[in-house]
Amino acid sequence: MAGELQPLNLKRVGDGLQIQWSDGVTTTTSWRHLRANCPCAGCIETRAKPPDPFRVLTPQEVAAGPPQPVAMQPIGHYAYKITWNDGHDTGIYPVERLRQLGEENK
Amino acid sequence: MNPGMPQKLALPGIKQVIAVASGKGGVGKSTVAANLAMALHMSGKTVGLMDADIYGPSVPIMFGLGKVDQNATPFPIEKFGIRLMSMGFLIGPEQAMIWRGPKVAQAVQSFLGQIDWGTLDYLIIDLPPGTGDAQLTLSQSAPLTGAVIVTTPGEVSLIDARKGVKMFREVRVPIMGIVENMSYFTDAAGNKTPIFGVGGGMKLALESNAPFLGELPIDPRVAQCGDNGEPIVRKYPDSDIAKSYMALAATVDAAASSSQAGGLPQVEL
Repeated sequence: MAGELQPLNLKRVGDGLQIQWSDGVTTTTSWRHLRANCPCAGCIETRAKPPDPFRVLTPQEVAAGPPQPVAMQPIGHYAYKITWNDGHDTGIYPVERLRQLGEENK
Repeated sequence: MNPGMPQKLALPGIKQVIAVASGKGGVGKSTVAANLAMALHMSGKTVGLMDADIYGPSVPIMFGLGKVDQNATPFPIEKFGIRLMSMGFLIGPEQAMIWRGPKVAQAVQSFLGQIDWGTLDYLIIDLPPGTGDAQLTLSQSAPLTGAVIVTTPGEVSLIDARKGVKMFREVRVPIMGIVENMSYFTDAAGNKTPIFGVGGGMKLALESNAPFLGELPIDPRVAQCGDNGEPIVRKYPDSDIAKSYMALAATVDAAASSSQAGGLPQVEL
């Protein structure tokens, strides 16, 4: 829609996601930062709790290593879904959130 | 892969997918969807109508159809030249669908992706009231050209229609326009009397910066035709309301043709 901020191009660059936006801005966000800010209800709830110093990594998390996307696909006209190498795939990242995370420059 | 997650569907044979929505119940979404589909077909388009109201499907009765033998009937069902799919073909009207949200989402997904719609100029989707699973599933899975929002003139309807507009804006589905249904009743002498308030559709259009697609008058024959299984546009093509629907179809067709709703770009991983 006219006037609305749009991502024009999205690609993996180094260890992160680079997005070229319709207003001329280019943002780069590390996969680690994206994974740490997964917007799914489960992750939001987990982040709201105090960190558990005794949490044991699952074998899948150990095998996966640093977070990397396995797939990233558009959802409707408004968001992207990332499937991660640790098996997590319930996060839907609205375009506005991707821009916000990109501006955090992490 | 989480089985509850939306599957993005390509639907390559379908040129335009238009949702008929509201937010409010009882404003005439199904009647508008059925007659809009009929009017588009009568103007020469190939049209499908998908009933996304899993709890209260109306499409079968509006087309004089009911529950069918699923094993013997290929879907979609064609009637009056329109291809139709509805939960009402799978269950009888006496049966209640007591389903939680994820099953509703699955049903909507399967109607979209597992029915062989073939090649269509338009797939019209009749949405249930509200801003819940059916709307979200559609917004995530279907390549929507846009949404037509139906309201009646009064503020009670507008309150919920605004929520419907807000929802589609959040998920970046273009609002093709606002249709005001049941705008007025015309008596035998030609006097117009508003029964459900005045001006709500135009007000919502101005607030939302969306096109106002027009008024649809109250005509008792609309409900009769709905109950008797033939949309009024087809049954009484010379009626004022049929002409209003044909005009609505022309406006929607023009808007769809010039729509800039493109998909989001793919990611180069």
